[in-house]
Amino acid sequence: MFSGAVRLFFVSAMNGLHYTLFLRLPRWLHGRAPPPALRSGVGSEDGINSAGLSTVTDKYVLDTLAVIRTLVDNDQEPPPSMLKLHTIADKEAGWLVVVRSMVQVIPLHDPLGPAVITLLLDDCPLPSKETVVHLCKFFELSEESAQESWKDPQLHRNICVVLGCIAEKLAGPASIALLTDTTLEYLVAHLNVDNHPCVILFALIALEKFAQTSENKTSIGQYMGQGLCNPLRTLEQWMSDNDYVRRQVGFCAQWCLDNLFICEGRPYSYENVDTTHLNAMLNNNDVSEYLKISPDGLQARCDASSFESVRCTFQVDSGVWYYEATIITAGVMQIGWATKDSKFLNHEGYGIGDDEFSVAYDGCRQLFWHNAQSESHLHPSWQPGDVLGSLLDLTNAEVIFYLNGDPLPPLTQVFNNATCGFFAAASFMSFQQCEFNFGKKPFMHPPKDIAFQSFNDHAYLKESEKIILPRHIKLQKLRAMSVEEGACTLCFDERATISLMPCLHRGFCERCALQLEICPMCRRDIEERREVDEKSDGKSEIT
Amino acid sequence: MAAGLPRRIIKETQRLMAEPVPGISAVPDESNARYFHVVVAGPEGSPFEGGVFKLELFLPEEYPMSAPKVRFMTKIYHPNIDKLGRICLDILKDKWSPALQIRTVLLSIQALLSAPNPDDPLANDVAELWKVNEMEAIRIAREWTRTYAMGN
Repeated sequence: MFSGAVRLFFVSAMNGLHYTLFLRLPRWLHGRAPPPALRSGVGSEDGINSAGLSTVTDKYVLDTLAVIRTLVDNDQEPPPSMLKLHTIADKEAGWLVVVRSMVQVIPLHDPLGPAVITLLLDDCPLPSKETVVHLCKFFELSEESAQESWKDPQLHRNICVVLGCIAEKLAGPASIALLTDTTLEYLVAHLNVDNHPCVILFALIALEKFAQTSENKTSIGQYMGQGLCNPLRTLEQWMSDNDYVRRQVGFCAQWCLDNLFICEGRPYSYENVDTTHLNAMLNNNDVSEYLKISPDGLQARCDASSFESVRCTFQVDSGVWYYEATIITAGVMQIGWATKDSKFLNHEGYGIGDDEFSVAYDGCRQLFWHNAQSESHLHPSWQPGDVLGSLLDLTNAEVIFYLNGDPLPPLTQVFNNATCGFFAAASFMSFQQCEFNFGKKPFMHPPKDIAFQSFNDHAYLKESEKIILPRHIKLQKLRAMSVEEGACTLCFDERATISLMPCLHRGFCERCALQLEICPMCRRDIEERREVDEKSDGKSEIT
Repeated sequence: MAAGLPRRIIKETQRLMAEPVPGISAVPDESNARYFHVVVAGPEGSPFEGGVFKLELFLPEEYPMSAPKVRFMTKIYHPNIDKLGRICLDILKDKWSPALQIRTVLLSIQALLSAPNPDDPLANDVAELWKVNEMEAIRIAREWTRTYAMGN
């Protein structure tokens, strides 16, 4: 779980009538900032003098980073260091100090570093345009400074994370103002194969986040160019590099070329990908909205700040099944098994293992997850290149996880709530990625003492089902769908055949009507849902 | 997203594009049809007049059985909107009905700007000032509008 539950805790502690709306807000640790009522009283009287502020802030940032992976319980208070940072960042000058500290002290190789930057910025008040401009001056962004980035990759990686995060938060006119020629030159200059791959990666992600505003998308696309000189064309060749950071760069470059910065003459990756003998893959229609899936359907990556999830295409109902996931990033992912009843509440920070219908392994925080409860296990923290094996034994009702072939004790709890209808499934924190093997390739560490089957040997996919369309093409197709006359006024999917009693309002299909307790039109209690002749008039319209 | 984009969302989006609400623009994100970039003009005669307020609106998986999630991205001094942009509005919570739409939600938010309700506050300090010294509260609201909601 990525601590959506903590948010809910704070919400319930507030006045229940106040609807708190979080949308693309923190997800993990979201809401760890207490409600304003709890926050009052902290502020300038906190005793921090401005002279020592930077040093103190540096320490709070590192403390937050150190403590973040230990935060898993729903009723845990936010760490004091984080509350302090929020207090400091409450004023614009303080916000700048916090951002400077993060840029300077977050280490290059902490797997949660970039996510912590995103998290802290997410809960802080929005900076004004002037503050952001000031920040860019302070960073001294330029094409030249980018070319020197090998001297201090940590600094430049962190600057790129911050720029991407602000571009996303301020999507729209402010993001256009932020993407000056200098900023654009700075970011694109990083996309050079000789650079530190961590810097390339986050420069690329920053560009992607700027491109959420369409004017920026156009200017970035033009600046990078259409032909083979476009730096992304070189970087996408790192898609299957042996270095795991370079592999992430390859993935993101290919994704950008397919989805955002389309090059004339370059075919979409899905048109060229070899899907022969591919019989099971990640389901592009059963995935939360920000997860990126590779054109071969076997790699997934999250660059959003929500906790993104996906299920496999193949359902298993009996027998013994095994699959593997190669860990490409060492941060928080929850990988395991889920039924269709398991919901992807990505914005609330809930994923696989966070309800009663799923179970997951978290190799970063060294936990099992089931029903949003965690339990420690004895494996070391996973590292890029490690292989997580996941065995579902429906005959004996147990799940066994292996790290590089080393098994943990079987888990059984999930079978109290579900005995069939399982899918391989996984959830991803920001900037996390892994590659699945459902049996198309030989397994790296197949369990030796138990007979199992692989999805790929038993599943079947039509050619059309193997296509992972770029998002803009998928959306175009969906928008072209027509809506029938006489359809339910709530879902527009089914025919409106139900009249509500006693109020007599109609225009609803049976499926929607069964989900209602009061009439959507007049709020009267529903005593009966009566089937009516759909040809008779009196259809109610939503206005 | 168990089965792609529901028709309800497609239909609402088409209508929002074809017949926009005066003073409000709502544009779906290019990569996520459930996420809308919203801009609301501060209503005439309110302390928010002249301001341009950016919001985000997200249609959760259960929409329309559950309400859209809406948040102000532009800072605003308003008793029913807190520092993080969260909005206190009944139709977004217990008074939600699936017959309401993105359009009606945005109209309600526009109306909330015209008529702040300090008796049902989300931002307690703002509401307090609004009750004890409305003129001063309105002055600050105008100032915030100038600082954060103009010229961006």
